[in-house]
Amino acid sequence: MSALPIDVALAWESLPALFAGLRVTVFLTVLPLMIGLMLAFPICFARMSPRRVLSLPAEIFVVFFRGAPLLILLYLVYYGLGQIEALREGPFWVLFGSPFGCAIVALSLNHAAYMVEVLRGSLLAVPHGLVEASEALGITRRNIFLWVRMPLALRYGLKAYQNEVVSFVKGTAIVSVVTITDLMAVANAIFEQTYDPFTPILCAATFYWAFVNVLRIGFQFWGRWLNRHSAEDAVAAPAGRTVTP
Amino acid sequence: MTNLSPADLAGYLRQLGEGALITLELFLTSFALAFTLGVAIGVATLSRNRIIRAAWRVYASIFMGVPSLLVIFLIFYGGSAMLGAVLGEFGSRIDISPFGAGVAALGIVYAAYIAELVRGAIENLPRGQFEGARALAIPPLIMWGRVILPQVMRLALPGLVNVWSFMLKETPLVSLAGLQDLVAAAKIAAGATKEPFVFFIATALVFIAFSAASLWVANRLEARLDRGQRRAPRSPSRAEA
Repeated sequence: MSALPIDVALAWESLPALFAGLRVTVFLTVLPLMIGLMLAFPICFARMSPRRVLSLPAEIFVVFFRGAPLLILLYLVYYGLGQIEALREGPFWVLFGSPFGCAIVALSLNHAAYMVEVLRGSLLAVPHGLVEASEALGITRRNIFLWVRMPLALRYGLKAYQNEVVSFVKGTAIVSVVTITDLMAVANAIFEQTYDPFTPILCAATFYWAFVNVLRIGFQFWGRWLNRHSAEDAVAAPAGRTVTP
Repeated sequence: MTNLSPADLAGYLRQLGEGALITLELFLTSFALAFTLGVAIGVATLSRNRIIRAAWRVYASIFMGVPSLLVIFLIFYGGSAMLGAVLGEFGSRIDISPFGAGVAALGIVYAAYIAELVRGAIENLPRGQFEGARALAIPPLIMWGRVILPQVMRLALPGLVNVWSFMLKETPLVSLAGLQDLVAAAKIAAGATKEPFVFFIATALVFIAFSAASLWVANRLEARLDRGQRRAPRSPSRAEA
């Protein structure tokens, strides 16, 4: 018996199914990442507000959706929301009635809660003097946020954002519990058909690994582009082409 | 609103309690394994040997780039065959329990994260600590145990707390391999009583409460480990600290 018997023929045969699974995983990553980010901004502003009426609910949201394991959130949305009569009758049932809708809701809320903290940490890292100086120059609060605080916060928080995105991708592997055939579910299905414990799971592992590393490399380029003004890159950067962030 | 009789509720609560104990046991065992492995790997991979460094990078890249759930399934399904390959006939007859697979998988995955923290902390330690220990002719084992690692733990504590709470949130994954833990018990109770909302929220709150409690302990621990640093430095040179 060899150490890791990988059945090459089976791996080749299951490639189309694995790619279909990867597509679902990518879809379930990209959409919640966007929804979560959009939710994170208003919640983060509420969280940072000096008014308790705003900051307390935001804080409870973050503690709950960050502290609860993703698996439980998924169960809660998938099994729990169906219990509410009003929701079952209402128009939102299109969303909560399907496993995809539930998974996207649970993943988005979880990601939003994490992003609130990432965003808050990055915004707090911006030196206060810069904001005060901008205010002294009479720049409007909206413009200070858009052109002073956010560009800096993005640079400070990029690493944390990358970590959250990577762990989020790995987190999506649980959506098979609500009958979605993502990459993990495809691998499991092939295992159940063939009883080959290594080939499908190791193939899926390769796909996940590749996906995560593509994202990682993308973030690296993004970070390099954001910091293109810094000393080492200034030499390499082409002159004449200026891009305002 | 609810159709639960007190007797039923007591029965489900007992099941949830038993499940919570299993979850806790799983979590603590896995963390202990990850911590031990992580510190050992972190120290070992500081070696200049290129093969060891390359092996570390491959290991870290693989287990940081793959979902824990996948590692759990790999060990749960393939563990017997892997043991068989390593230990021969005897190994293949060992049945892998969901608990064992969970501990092994979470231990191996999170050891990578802990090893990275430990490596970072050791590299942040002033060189003088090693040189001083060597100048005093302190044997390597005592140098690591009494001089370096205690300081490393202080530096790595915030990161370790992160790993701790992140790992706690991944322990429910083992229920998908069939472990009768808190989440599995909650799912059974939710299905049987048709009250999923109550049971899942309660389960989530158990996790949040445990997380909050351990954060409190961690803050106390941090304050204690920092007690040598707390007094404002009299001289600006930090190398002496």
